[in-house]
Amino acid sequence: MSTPHQKLERNGMGFALMILFVASLGGLFEIAPLFTIENTVEEVEGMRPYTPLEVAGRDIYVREGCYACHSQMIRTLRSDVDRYGHYSLAAESMYDHPHQWGSKRTGPDLARVGGKYSDTWHVAHLQNPRDFVEGSVMPGYSFLSETPLNTHPLEGSLIALRRVGVPYTDAQIDTAMVDALRQADPFANYEGDLQDSYGPNVQVRDFDGQPDRVTEMDALVAYLQMLGTLVDFDSFDAEANNR
Amino acid sequence: MKSELDEASGQHTTGHEWDGVKELNTPVPLAFRVSLWLTIAVAVIMWVLYPSWPGVADYLKGTAGYSSRDRVAEAVADRQALRLQQMPEFAALDIYDLAEDPTLEARYAPAISVLYRDNCAACHGRDLKGQTNFPNLTDDHWLWSGDPGEIEYTLQVGINHTSDDTRWAQMPAFGDGMLETEDLLSVVEYVLQISGSEHDAARASVGADVFENNCVGCHNDGGIGGYENGAPSLVDDAWIYGGSRSTLRETLQYGRAGVMPGWQGRLTDEEIKKLALYVLWAGQDGPN
Ligand code: HEC
Ligand code: HEC
Ligand code: HEC
Repeated sequence: MSTPHQKLERNGMGFALMILFVASLGGLFEIAPLFTIENTVEEVEGMRPYTPLEVAGRDIYVREGCYACHSQMIRTLRSDVDRYGHYSLAAESMYDHPHQWGSKRTGPDLARVGGKYSDTWHVAHLQNPRDFVEGSVMPGYSFLSETPLNTHPLEGSLIALRRVGVPYTDAQIDTAMVDALRQADPFANYEGDLQDSYGPNVQVRDFDGQPDRVTEMDALVAYLQMLGTLVDFDSFDAEANNR
Repeated sequence: MKSELDEASGQHTTGHEWDGVKELNTPVPLAFRVSLWLTIAVAVIMWVLYPSWPGVADYLKGTAGYSSRDRVAEAVADRQALRLQQMPEFAALDIYDLAEDPTLEARYAPAISVLYRDNCAACHGRDLKGQTNFPNLTDDHWLWSGDPGEIEYTLQVGINHTSDDTRWAQMPAFGDGMLETEDLLSVVEYVLQISGSEHDAARASVGADVFENNCVGCHNDGGIGGYENGAPSLVDDAWIYGGSRSTLRETLQYGRAGVMPGWQGRLTDEEIKKLALYVLWAGQDGPN
């Protein structure tokens, strides 16, 4: 009298197990690819963990919600590559926790904005975007130039990032606070030390046009000027990494 | 239990029963079921054709050989070829020959203005007239000369930018003990004098000596500017930062090093030539 369907329906344990199996499929499809992440992330030259000043800038970027209007993901579309440059690589966000790919472009993509403008321009544009771009809807952030950078959380930030896989060394964590202050101080004679510690593509200078102090503007502009500049595309093998 | 006929509605039941409750079998219309199975079939075909399932060390690449990265590289190359076809001169000729062709401006200026607005207008303004900190490109007063090749080179490597071969143009900070405050204030009066502004004549004559000893090396005799080092002329009315007394004092006190980004790598060689020409055209049209 009973179909297989009915048997199953009336067997509590069996049915619960079936539900568990079906529900776990969703998780499986999300988690399984993480085990193959090694062969998703390209091998590239130049990619390095962010310096403490850049981490601070990134935190400000997230705090101010810049990601709500700006993406950091140049897609493999002609229009994107034409306008913003080489498409983004997985490797370029491997030290981002969380990544800033975004899904909304009220303003332009920022994945390769590093080096596109000068510090002076960034500072003045962030203070009042409409001075440079008529009709811009981007808010002004002039208070960043007034707010001294709080470097105390940086050691903790680096430790937290290390826990999720960013390879900071003990020495880098110990000197996080000084490193942040000195990256914005061209007179500290510290460029060599920072580059030895992080890599030759660290930019050391006064970013916010106020040489005598380090503000949140320094951190944010240092972060923006680094975006998209780390990977050495001359040594990038596109053939080997096509997907 | 079997599906049975429900008297009241005249329909069949599903055959399931929960504590005496039965359910009418009213399946979704056939068209929906067919399209559901069709989409599933299409999905299976796509799995086979396109990159799909991840494996342990690799992923299923698909039989169609599709790669979004190859695809975009091709699309970019196609568009590049199309642009060359539309404006063949820019690949074939060098910047000097291009500058001598009077017909190009009328044909190409509108197209190039889009390129200019995308990349340069944020600093030099839509009208190329510049703004404080960012020089006017229409006025025929050049930092690095109006020679087409020099302009092209400036666009390639930038000024005070990050690349190794960028042009360097640093105005030193004289306030850091390089000049006594008195001398600094005097040389400001001298600069005001040679640029034709209201000034303190007694101080300016002291300032002339200070200028002779400290500034002519870069700004040339009489402050007319030199083209080899990006030091601007101080005798004309074109200013990057400003010719007022207070701005001049600031320039002398803290120094200046304006940054013009280099565009090699970001723009193609042809695009850089187009923009160099665009700047030249604006200079010729502008009020000299
Ligand atoms: C309300 C949306 C909005 C927010 C929030 C916003 N922006 Fe923008 N942004 C824009 C728009 C629109 C533009 C284009 C017009 C302009 O340049 O002002 C822009 C342009 C820019 C540019 C120039 C990009 C280029 O290539 O020309 C930068 C850099 C930038 N924004 C950084 C930031 C940062 C950093 C933050 C957070 C502190 C931020 N923006 C927050 C809307 C926004
Ligand atoms: C981030 C702002 C910025 C952007 C964007 C920019 N420039 Fe400049 N440009 C400058 C500054 C600042 C100078 C002057 C540098 C100095 O003070 O020595 C300059 C100088 C120049 C010069 C040299 C002028 C002379 O007198 O010799 C030319 C030519 C020029 N820019 C053209 C361009 C073109 C074309 C573009 C677009 C591809 C562009 N610029 C984009 C800031 C910018
Ligand atoms: C090492 C070379 C050098 C020396 C020495 C030098 N300058 Fe300059 N000066 C420059 C350069 C390069 C610039 C352009 C800076 C820029 O574009 O950011 C400049 C810019 C200026 C400006 C700003 C012009 C404007 O358009 O706003 C003034 C004013 C000036 N110099 C005055 C002087 C005076 C006065 C002295 C001597 C006390 C002097 N300079 C010595 C290289 C020099």
